[in-house]
Amino acid sequence: MTLKYAAATNLSADRIPAFSVFVLFVVLLLAGMACASVGGSTFNLTHQQLAQIFTDLVTTGSVADDLATQLIYSIRLPRVMIAAAVGAALAIAGALMQGITRNPLASPALFGLNSGAACMLVLAETGMIPLLSQLPLVLSTATGAAFAGVTVLALGGGLRGKLHPTRMVLAGIALSALLLAITRTVLILDEQAQQILSWLAGSLTDVGWDHWQQLWPWILSGIIASICISHKLNILALGDEMATGLGTSAWALRLWASLAIILLTATGVAITGPISFVGLLVPHLSRRLVGNDYRILIPVSALLGAALLCWADLLSRYMAFPSETPVGLVTALIGAPCFIWLASRGQERT
Amino acid sequence: MINTQWRTTVILLTFILVTAVTGLFTGNFNLSTAVGSEWIINNIRLARIVLAVLAGAALGLSGCLIQGVIRNPLAAPDLIGVSAGAGLAATAMLLLFPDLSLFWLMPMAIIGALVTLLLLLWLMRNHSLNPARLVLVGITLSIWLTAFTDWLLVSHPQQTNAALIWLTGSLWGRGWQQIWMLLTALLILVPVTLTLSLKLNLLALGDETAESLGSSVLQTRKISLFLAVTLAAVSVAVCGALSFVGLIAPHMARLLVGGNHRYLLPAAAMTGALLVLLADTTARTIAAPLELPAGVFTALIGAPYFLFLLTRYRGW
Repeated sequence: MTLKYAAATNLSADRIPAFSVFVLFVVLLLAGMACASVGGSTFNLTHQQLAQIFTDLVTTGSVADDLATQLIYSIRLPRVMIAAAVGAALAIAGALMQGITRNPLASPALFGLNSGAACMLVLAETGMIPLLSQLPLVLSTATGAAFAGVTVLALGGGLRGKLHPTRMVLAGIALSALLLAITRTVLILDEQAQQILSWLAGSLTDVGWDHWQQLWPWILSGIIASICISHKLNILALGDEMATGLGTSAWALRLWASLAIILLTATGVAITGPISFVGLLVPHLSRRLVGNDYRILIPVSALLGAALLCWADLLSRYMAFPSETPVGLVTALIGAPCFIWLASRGQERT
Repeated sequence: MINTQWRTTVILLTFILVTAVTGLFTGNFNLSTAVGSEWIINNIRLARIVLAVLAGAALGLSGCLIQGVIRNPLAAPDLIGVSAGAGLAATAMLLLFPDLSLFWLMPMAIIGALVTLLLLLWLMRNHSLNPARLVLVGITLSIWLTAFTDWLLVSHPQQTNAALIWLTGSLWGRGWQQIWMLLTALLILVPVTLTLSLKLNLLALGDETAESLGSSVLQTRKISLFLAVTLAAVSVAVCGALSFVGLIAPHMARLLVGGNHRYLLPAAAMTGALLVLLADTTARTIAAPLELPAGVFTALIGAPYFLFLLTRYRGW
């Protein structure tokens, strides 16, 4: 079985490039985090100050009291960490979705998961549904994401066991339009529009260490869960029957993967708002570089997603300097042309 | 058959009239007690109602032409990105050249929409306009163009507010000036559109049959698409993107009067007008004094209908 498995996933052929890709992406991520921590500010922040903060943290456990240090430590650092974590989460969610639906166009935003989570969050925040407001934030966004995911699956033909790639994406987009209309109505009725509108575009503004505290346990457990099921996703790629024959229950695996996807997407949306196209593009790009072995694909996607969002965040500060562009706009500007290229190439594998 | 068409026309016109009159006398401003109610009716509500009817008619016609000419039940100006292109061009004009006269809004929107259409056709050049894929690429194109529009808004915070309200598909704050612009455009476009009905009927028989009956398929396609894009653009230039109207109106019209474009085109215009009028009236009365954008209501009706069409669609 091991031999056949290795042959099917092209394991041996990809091992060496995968390692260099891994190193490259770690460098890309670290550089992105370093630049995003100090770049694009009206204050004069430097890399030396960033380095000083780390030395201080390691040696004395506290940071200096001047303005630049405080700015980097309490505003920029949590922001960069959150960007990296959310980028990784969305990329992994996309990779898992493409794996379990065998749909190259699958991703959290296009299947309506982002809008579902956003809609529930707005309903909870404005107190329209009192019961919802008492739940933890991630739980209500997770409910929204799960609802949207199930609806899209049903509309995409999941009930008859015949999933069609384009149909699922169109269903997801239409559902998103519907949920967005509901979200907008609720916002206008509650008259808090200005503040949440920027969040709705996917924004990293005003995030701090307290957000990071809420975020990391969920995302970390999502990442660990995905890595744990990655070897089974390889078997699923051979087809449902083959997977069952090899002792993996296809539907149980789909259920676990769905839980991980919902956890990752819901946490991301709860903190930064819906950010599109990261979950679609990153797995595609990673797949081109390291092949289809999910044990490698998932960590590589996570790194690339994290790096991408850090760089996108940096770009979002420079695009209309000194005012800040929501990072979701940046990813849409980069991502949509790539998606059009993917969709008009017409190589749909079902 | 003629009887059915007439009956439908009369019924639709009655609906439009009843909604218009109801809309004229309902709203946040209590007409019976206040001074100046005549002014409110003449200058604000009447203008809005006329505008809703005109914009809705333009969108309905545009959708009907697009669906007829590319034989795609899922297509509509906003679903293939044309509305977003018009919106981007108009926003760019409003924000980057605030000194230009509003007269240029409509030409700019038309140019934006036409460029988007050309881009879409270029992207679809290898796929002979496969319906589902056309909509997929079109929607993504419109996400992309909308992202550009949002970026423009973010980078010009001083002028954002007016543009934002305008973009969400609202009829708030429009007056007679916009009506004259829209009316002039429609007086030129609508008669040309109606003369196409015979050719569109031929096209429905299939490309080869149409050619053998002496109709140039390519020419009909080009003219119809040009008209459809222009109609959508003039409506977007005045009311912003009222999503899904161009999709539902032709479908409803087809249910009412059948597939003959001689009746279908006028019926689509009337259903479009009725839809936008209803959406706008609901939007400004349901939560008064707050005003919701009419585009929200058209999406609330249109998106579920699009989902319904998806489950019925067999051409994958």
